[in-house]
Amino acid sequence: MSPHDFHFNPADYGLPTRDELVAYRIWDSHFHGFYGAQNPIEQFHANQFYVERMGIERSISLEIGGTLAAPLTPSPYDDAIRQLLETHQDRLSGLTPIEPGFPDESCEKMEKWIRRGPCIGIKYVGGNKSGTTCRHPNNDPIIRLAAELNATIYIHTWLKIGGTPRLPGRDNLPGESTPADVAALAQRFPSVRFICGHSGGDWELGVRVIRPHKNIFLEFAGSDPHSGQVDYAVHELGVDRIVWGGHGPSRSYATEIGKVLDASLSRPDRIKILGGNFRGYAAPIFRQKGWKITL
Amino acid sequence: MNLFDRRQFIKNSLGTGAALSLAHATGTALAAATTPPAKPAPLTKNSPGIIDTNVTLFQWPFRKLKYSETPALVAKLRQHHIIEAWAGSFEALLHKDIAGVNERLATECREQAPGFLRPFGTVNLAWADWEEDVRRCHEVHHMPGLRIYPGYQPFNLKHPGLAPLIAMVRERGLILQIVFQMEDPRVHHPLIKLETLDARPLIAPLQAAPGAKVQLLHFSGNVQGSDLQALMAETPAHLDLSRWEGNGAIGRMIGSAPSGSAARVPLERVFFGSHAPYFPVETAVLKLMESPLDRPQLNAIMQGNARRWLPPV
Repeated sequence: MSPHDFHFNPADYGLPTRDELVAYRIWDSHFHGFYGAQNPIEQFHANQFYVERMGIERSISLEIGGTLAAPLTPSPYDDAIRQLLETHQDRLSGLTPIEPGFPDESCEKMEKWIRRGPCIGIKYVGGNKSGTTCRHPNNDPIIRLAAELNATIYIHTWLKIGGTPRLPGRDNLPGESTPADVAALAQRFPSVRFICGHSGGDWELGVRVIRPHKNIFLEFAGSDPHSGQVDYAVHELGVDRIVWGGHGPSRSYATEIGKVLDASLSRPDRIKILGGNFRGYAAPIFRQKGWKITL
Repeated sequence: MNLFDRRQFIKNSLGTGAALSLAHATGTALAAATTPPAKPAPLTKNSPGIIDTNVTLFQWPFRKLKYSETPALVAKLRQHHIIEAWAGSFEALLHKDIAGVNERLATECREQAPGFLRPFGTVNLAWADWEEDVRRCHEVHHMPGLRIYPGYQPFNLKHPGLAPLIAMVRERGLILQIVFQMEDPRVHHPLIKLETLDARPLIAPLQAAPGAKVQLLHFSGNVQGSDLQALMAETPAHLDLSRWEGNGAIGRMIGSAPSGSAARVPLERVFFGSHAPYFPVETAVLKLMESPLDRPQLNAIMQGNARRWLPPV
C-alpha cells in the first residue's frame, strides 16, 4: 500500500490536496514518533506512512536521548535514533528533553546531543520527578547554554482544571509548567525565544498570559481542535508568533492541520504557521551545523 | 497512482496551479486577502456527499463559536460537501424547559435548511414527564431522533429511565444518540465538574431492545478499550468518528490500517460525525484522506451507513 494512493479527493470536499499540503511546506515542531511505544523505531517507521501521506516536510522529534519519563537516563534506543537522525537528516530533526531539577546534568546532555550531536534544541517535559517547572532559577544555566548554542526551546505547558477551589492549572503534574511559568522565564531572558507548547491546553487563557511577551511563540498541538482557536491566537499575538505541531502519532495530522484550515487566513499566513515561523526560529542552528535550510 | 477520478484530479490540479500562479503574480495584494473558501466540486460517483451525524445548533454556553449562527454553519458544512446534518441543540445541555429547546430546534431546522438539517431533539431523564417530550419530538415536530447528554443533563447511564427510553424510541422507530463528551474535561469551565461516563450500563438495555437504533457520539471509551470491545461484541451500538484520534484512526478502528491491526469496530457501524461547530468540520473530513480507505469503505462511512437508518426527506 503506497501512502500516495487515494480514493478520496480532498479537493472535492473543499480541502487541500496532498500536493497543496506539500506546497504549504509543513514543519511539525511537535513530533512524538519515538514516544510511548515498546519499540520506538518500529513506531517511527509505521508513522512515516502518514508523514508521507499528509505531505509533512520535516518532523521535529521531542524525545531524542533518554525518554520523556526519564530524560537524563540513556535509552537502549539512543544509538538507533541517533542514526535515524543522520540518515533522515533531510526530513527529521530532534530536540533533547532536559530535567530542570538537575541543571548540571541537563547542560551536559545538551553538550552531548546539541553541540556535539544531531539535535537542534531542548524540550521541557510535561512534569518531572523533581517537581521543578521552567520558572525555577535552576533553569537559568540551561537557558544561557541554549542561547549560546542557538538551540530552540520547546516548553510543554498545560492548565488542567482541578483543585479546591477548581481553577485552571491546579491539576497539573509536579513540574508541569503553565504559560505563566514560561512568561516568567521569558521575562528573565528577553533576547531568547521560547515556544509555549500546547497553548497551555486552554488556549483562551494561555494566549492571554503570553501575549505581552514578544519572545514567546505559541504552539497549539495535542489538545482538541476548537473552531476559531487559531483565529483568536492570530488576532491576539500576530501570525508571526505561532508555530504548528502535529503531535503524531497519538494525534491525527488531520486534527492539527484542520485547526489551521479552519482559520480565516491568507495563504502566506498559513505557510508561516505551518512551517515558515519555525524555520525562521531554527535557521541559526541549522546554519551553524552547516545544514541547508530554505526559509 | 491516485485512484480517484482522473479527470476530476486534473481539473482540480489545474485550478490549484492557476491559483498559485496568480498568487505569485499579484504578490502582496493577494497575500493580504483571506484564503477564499474552496468551492466543492459537483457530486459524482467518486465524490459522494457526506451525512454528518454530529452537528449542534445555537450557542455553546462557554464561548462564542465561529460558526454558531445557523446560516454560517450550513454554508460551512455545504462548502465541505456535507449534504445532510443531524442537528442537536446546545440549549439541551443546561436548559430546564426542554419543550422550548425542542421547539426552537425544530423551527430553526425547518426555516434555515429544511431537509438538510435533521433535528434531533432531547429529553432529560432527570426531569419529570420526559415521555411527553419524546411524544412531541416524534408526533408534533416529526423529528427522526433524539439526542441525550448524560453528565450535562444530571443523570448517568444507570438511570432507571434509560431502558424505557430505549424501548420507546425503538417502538416509535426513532434514532437515539447518546453524547459521551462535549469537550475535554481538562479545559472545562471551573463551575463544570462532570463524572466520567461509564458505558457499560448501556449493555443490558440495548440487549433488551433488539433493533433499537442507538448511536454513541464522541465516544472514546476507557483507556483499556474494554468498554468499546464489550459494546461492539454484545450490543448493536453504532458510533460516530468525531472522537477518534491518532494518525490513521479510522483505518485502525475498522481494521484497514497499513499496520494490519484487527478491526475494533465493524465498518457498518461507523457514521461520519464532525462535532461542528465546536470542532472544525475540516478535522473530520481530513481524516477520510489521512486513513487509506477504499471506495466501499468511504461510501459506507460518508453516507451509506447513516442512510440505512434515515432515508432522505
